[in-house]
Amino acid sequence: HAATTLKISHQFPGGTIDKGDFRDRLCRMFAAEVAKRSNGDIAAEIYPNSSLIKTNAQFSAMRKGALDISLYPMPYAGGELPETNIGLMPGLVTTYDQGMRWKKEPVGKALTDFLADKGIILLSWVWQAGGVASRSKPIVAPEDAKGLKVRGGSREMDMVLQTAGASVLSVPSNEIYAAMQTGACDAGITSSTSLISFRLEEVAKSLTSGAGASYWFMLEPLMMSKAIFDKLPKPQQDVLLTVGTELEAFGRKGAQDDDVEVAKVYEKAGAKVSALDAATVGKWRDIARDTAWKDYSAKTATAANLLKLASDVGA
Amino acid sequence: MSHGPLPDRDDQANAAARTGLAAAIDRGLAILNSIIVVFAAIALIAACAILSYSVLSRALFKAANYWQDEAAVFLLVGATFMTAAYVQQNRGHIGIEAFVGLLSPLANRIRLWLVDAVTFLFCAFFAWKSWTLAHEAYVDGQVSNSMWSPPLAIPYSLMAFGMSLLCVQIIVQLALPFAGARRP
Amino acid sequence: MSVFGIGLAYGIATLVVMFSGMPIAFALGAVAVVFMGIYMPAASLDTVTQNVYEEMASITLLSIPLFILKGAAIGKSRAGQDLYSALHAWLHRVPGGLGVANVFACALFAAMAGSSPATCSAIGSAGIPEMRKRGYSGGFAAGIIAAGGTLGILLPPSITMILFAVAAEKSLGRLFLAGIGPGLLLVSLFGAYAVIRFRQEYAAAEAIYKNGGPEATILARDEYTLAERFSVLPRVIPFVLLLTGVMIALYGGYATPSETAGLGGLLALALIAAIYSVWRPSDLAPIMKSTIRESTMLMMIIGMSLLYSYVMSYLHISQSVAESVVAMHLPRWGLLFTILVMVVVLGFFLPPVSIILMTAPIILPPLRAANFDIIWFGVVMTIVMEMGLIHPPVGLNIFVIRNVAPDIPLREVIWGTLPFVLLMMLAVLLLCFVPGISTALPDLVMGPDGSR
Ligand code: NA
Ligand code: NA
Repeated sequence: HAATTLKISHQFPGGTIDKGDFRDRLCRMFAAEVAKRSNGDIAAEIYPNSSLIKTNAQFSAMRKGALDISLYPMPYAGGELPETNIGLMPGLVTTYDQGMRWKKEPVGKALTDFLADKGIILLSWVWQAGGVASRSKPIVAPEDAKGLKVRGGSREMDMVLQTAGASVLSVPSNEIYAAMQTGACDAGITSSTSLISFRLEEVAKSLTSGAGASYWFMLEPLMMSKAIFDKLPKPQQDVLLTVGTELEAFGRKGAQDDDVEVAKVYEKAGAKVSALDAATVGKWRDIARDTAWKDYSAKTATAANLLKLASDVGA
Repeated sequence: MSHGPLPDRDDQANAAARTGLAAAIDRGLAILNSIIVVFAAIALIAACAILSYSVLSRALFKAANYWQDEAAVFLLVGATFMTAAYVQQNRGHIGIEAFVGLLSPLANRIRLWLVDAVTFLFCAFFAWKSWTLAHEAYVDGQVSNSMWSPPLAIPYSLMAFGMSLLCVQIIVQLALPFAGARRP
Repeated sequence: MSVFGIGLAYGIATLVVMFSGMPIAFALGAVAVVFMGIYMPAASLDTVTQNVYEEMASITLLSIPLFILKGAAIGKSRAGQDLYSALHAWLHRVPGGLGVANVFACALFAAMAGSSPATCSAIGSAGIPEMRKRGYSGGFAAGIIAAGGTLGILLPPSITMILFAVAAEKSLGRLFLAGIGPGLLLVSLFGAYAVIRFRQEYAAAEAIYKNGGPEATILARDEYTLAERFSVLPRVIPFVLLLTGVMIALYGGYATPSETAGLGGLLALALIAAIYSVWRPSDLAPIMKSTIRESTMLMMIIGMSLLYSYVMSYLHISQSVAESVVAMHLPRWGLLFTILVMVVVLGFFLPPVSIILMTAPIILPPLRAANFDIIWFGVVMTIVMEMGLIHPPVGLNIFVIRNVAPDIPLREVIWGTLPFVLLMMLAVLLLCFVPGISTALPDLVMGPDGSR
């Protein structure tokens, strides 16, 4: 019998270790690998689909020690800790290489220390690029968004979109499909994986893919409750951290595969697929720098420091 | 088998003149509840108006819609929790009474009293945890993660206040039999 | 204690507390908190309120009170009565015509609302009194509305189908379309049953009358001239305006489903103010009071049932049930049958939303392996979960009926809904033999499902 049973929660569709959403697979691989490395001392149960705990409540539950582990979109915690919005700052991260470099640079240490102080341990860094599905013309450059009703999905993205002349719309993620089908919403921005799982290709005429470069990168790490982590013996802690780090390559590959897959899916459904280039991403970043970045660094001293350190990481 | 609210039982429940502290609090609560119901009704209509406004302003002026959903959520969450005591006053939180025919009248009275007591314990726990949640949100300055970013302490306090009021309502209903009133 | 033991204890504790007469909402919450205290880490107790808040603070879910308001505005003002007198004037020659009209009304409202209790309440608050005024028995009237209300999650838009589509990674558009055929099948079955049952009740009343008994209201024959029938038509206009207004907003691309709820509520209030001069606070009071009573009662149950399913999920109870079903390695139809029985049993206690969230990840892989069409299964599962809405102990639609018509004894309501549960079983059976009822429409509109 396992000495420690850890509960891993996430909000994504559940599958098996070989098939399904890569974020669910990452959790399952993590569970299998820690069981193996700890000789069965650590067992982990996966709860997909927010079936254990509501999406937004996961972060706070981990901080309190009521939930062990979650693969959690970090900026979702932005209401509780505004600093976490750095995990989805438009234009701040534009390639996977740049995102993955964070961990080793000063920004990585600053973020890790900050989160540890708030009761969260980062086990595995996962970045995901996003794109735009639109029911009319493609939204590639900021000027394309003018006059359209767009669901940005985060405070920072909404600010950028509004400056670009779009009217932003707050639609819960499970209503995007219906809203786009009826036309209440013209376009939605989200991760490639979600663009696939929401089946927006059925209602979209164009897709802007983030495969090459994107202004939308979200940090979606596997995180753990520090209260629980600290109670484990050192060898078990080491197993968790090592396996987490080793799975980062899988996470990156999964995210990038979906960036390619989403284009295929939308193309097959007859949508026009466009790509972003560095120059266009630069245009978005310029808007973001004056709006979202400014708003973010004005929030707390830690936020300002994190943003400064993050913008030092070269693309 | 089941007890649900009878039409306008609130009017009858308070009809009998009663004396004593519990009865006085009961009357006070009834007045408070009817004031809250007015505000809850306004909140419901306001939520409708806000959502309709977001439809119209988007259709006519292509206006952004970034606060409407949240404002409506706050109004509706507030209306729901704040009226929990009003609904309890009328015994409107529906339950299933399967044992009523199997027990003697005295046993039934004890059962009903126990049901209220357990309900109170749960609601008191919930109210306590709501206050700590609201306090935490207030101290940490937690906000809703949107462009509008209203403080989460607002809906949490509404939840906490509503559940506390519900507790007071149940205590009064627990005490009234001892003050000589019958459970409606 | 083993998961099985805890699960059993959890189920029994729930039944005892619930049958003791404790309000459903608090019974679910209290049982959950006690088990949480015993079997879960102490920190879990600190997350209780945030969990409930997160569950409720979704505009999709909170559109329920607004749909209830819309229903109450129509149902508690003269608008509803006028609508039904007009329907009656036109349908009085059809035996059970008013019952059929109510089934249609439920279906139409279901196309605007995403949840079943909302549909039930909106049509029921006017429909039940009107049917009973014309001599329908309480159980019959309640049954029509409780069952008609379940169309709310079968006909689009539907909250549960959205969740299923996401969990199954299937096309929501396809799933919505797949619900329409079975929805119409149920409408026909319910309508046909209404005609038959009306004939029975009519014949029984007639026999009593012929043997010298009193003349029951059901025997009354109203005669309308053609002029009279046309003169009542304008009374339908407010309802038609409301329906088309909301439909245009939703399907014309002006509003999201939740916004539609607000728009519908406001439109309904505006219409009764303009046409029936219902605008003074004293006129609005009964409408608002009944809305608040019903929506607060329902939302508390929904909020607390989340807490309940959270504990069930944490203790691995629901997952273990599903896993043990899978471990039986049943033949294809045996697997389907067992899974559906499990959904029925879960439906005793849980609302459809929780059932989907907890079981979909576990039951879908074996169903896929057994080569079942997942879209088709989504529709079948929706119908089976709908049965849970109209059978005790936790049947949200039954609670709505209890609120709309408190004087109909629960016994009668349950007996009245039973035939409809059987009709839904029949529909499931038909769907198993003729899957085309569900899949033909999406295949026609969107082409064959390549990802099956
Ligand atoms: Na519907
Ligand atoms: Na049920």
